[in-house]
Amino acid sequence: MVCVKQVPDVAEIRIDEVKHTLIRSGVPSILNPFDEFAVEEALRIREKSGGDVTVISMGPLQAKETLTKCLAMGADRAVLLSDPKFAGADTWATSKTLAMTIQKLGFDLVLCGMKAVDGETSQVGPEIAELLGIPHISYVKRVEINNDKSLVAERMTEQGHQLVSSSIPCLLTATKALNVPRIPTLLSQMAAKKKPIEIFTAESIGAQKDQVGLPGSRTHVLKVFTPNLRTGECKIVRAEEKDAIPQLLGLLKKEGITT
Amino acid sequence: MSQPDANGVWVVGEQKDGQMAAVTLELLTTGRWIADSLKQQLTLVMVGNDLDRMVSTLEEYGPDRIIFVSGEGANQFIPEVYSESIAAIVTKAPPSVILFPATYDGRDLAGRLAARLGVGLAADCTEVSVDDEGRFIQVRPAFGGNLMAVIHQPTAKPQLATLRPHITKSAKASTKVTLLVEHAPLVGLPKNFDKKVLETVREVAEEAGNLDEAEVVIGIGRGLGSLDNLKTVNRLAILLNAAVGGSRGVVDAGWLPHSQQIGLTGRVISPKMYLALGISGAVQHLVGVRTAKEIVAINIDPEAPIFKVATYGIVGDLFSILPPLIRELESKPTRI
Repeated sequence: MVCVKQVPDVAEIRIDEVKHTLIRSGVPSILNPFDEFAVEEALRIREKSGGDVTVISMGPLQAKETLTKCLAMGADRAVLLSDPKFAGADTWATSKTLAMTIQKLGFDLVLCGMKAVDGETSQVGPEIAELLGIPHISYVKRVEINNDKSLVAERMTEQGHQLVSSSIPCLLTATKALNVPRIPTLLSQMAAKKKPIEIFTAESIGAQKDQVGLPGSRTHVLKVFTPNLRTGECKIVRAEEKDAIPQLLGLLKKEGITT
Repeated sequence: MSQPDANGVWVVGEQKDGQMAAVTLELLTTGRWIADSLKQQLTLVMVGNDLDRMVSTLEEYGPDRIIFVSGEGANQFIPEVYSESIAAIVTKAPPSVILFPATYDGRDLAGRLAARLGVGLAADCTEVSVDDEGRFIQVRPAFGGNLMAVIHQPTAKPQLATLRPHITKSAKASTKVTLLVEHAPLVGLPKNFDKKVLETVREVAEEAGNLDEAEVVIGIGRGLGSLDNLKTVNRLAILLNAAVGGSRGVVDAGWLPHSQQIGLTGRVISPKMYLALGISGAVQHLVGVRTAKEIVAINIDPEAPIFKVATYGIVGDLFSILPPLIRELESKPTRI
């Protein structure tokens, strides 16, 4: 079971510096890069240990494109949670919706990206695991499935890694170090377009209105603003200039970094 | 969980192998201020064994109460165990706010605890405050730092938030309070599953520091030229007490481990100063350093986009700058 999200290509987002808003038009939607590593790893686990790979996503009908890409990579089944009732979900409501779906579909292993590049919370994976009552290993860079009861994963830490063993079922969140995702062939892309994508609504997963979407959310956004991105205030000197280094030393001192 | 009578601000500190993480004191400083604004008490929760020796240091940052959670294996972070143990004390007398560090472990723990309690969580906040109506307000970046969202949690308590390191400078409390020290037991893993940390390996040299915690981070790009030149950078890092990270190109080339990649597909950091050496400044990298206070860039290409976000830039060969800079710093007395 892999949870994926369609996200705007954050590297393409620009800011309207007059209106202080995000310029989202023309920004392509992509499969969240970290989720792509999760899909790839699920496929590799299937190739080695058997089973099948189901990809689930919550989003508008447009997110079908993302699931089609996962099918083209080789996923067996794709489910899109799409319902106006799901709109405006925060991490809690999102995790709840995904966990209810995963529970309904049945699972051995759940994989997610370590974070989505738009929301950047890194919280949905651990929250789903808690709701499913299973352990999780975050920031995974390598995984070995021992047998159908246990696995060992290398988890990235601030300064290296940890080797962690866990019973299965378990949830893993994927980092970039995990693998290099396959690029679907033209043929598999064509075939994927013909594969069905199942649409689930709040009713299909048995969710009450107040469990999902904005009504189910515990965090509410009061407002959004664009931060000041200090542009055009850079003082630039050439390396040959005599005071290039003294100025840098001055800045270090000013910030209390050196004496 | 809806708790209208939930009261108190809690801070969950962090320790590694029994050593307190600096972010704990920053969180206490923020927590003290939030607690005062809400006219509530501040509690610090630390999971780990034999931590009582930290009391004299922690006390100075003004918690009204410290709860040490200890038991066999408590020094080893296992999110499921930490979360269950903290949930056990939260449910007895729920606080209104719980703050965690936005570190790898802090995010793991806060996520599980939020789901366990069925409450909200604002992740990776860069600012928290209390507004005129007495609401706990969180500000967090999204879309690669392109957008800031102002959040509140009106429906459920406790209200959880993880805070990025460095958003506040740790400061000792101005008034002394009577400190209460309590102990709580570590709760074991649920019987139906098993989890163990088999080994913890440090890949980054001791002097390379911690990207999230360091006040100064040196970022290296392909402009460094070769792996050999990393020695010079490491020397500078020691002198500035800085952590060393790099661009995607540098990590892909194997010059630094994956854990040190800064940017969209790596780490997002908020140091006091980011020193970009030979980094051109692709958007995918810049989103990882946008919340740094100062950005200093040294690059041979005057058109490099890094200069657009830097506060101070030097155009020229890295190796005409670094050796004399290192000599200057070496001649200064060591910082205490």
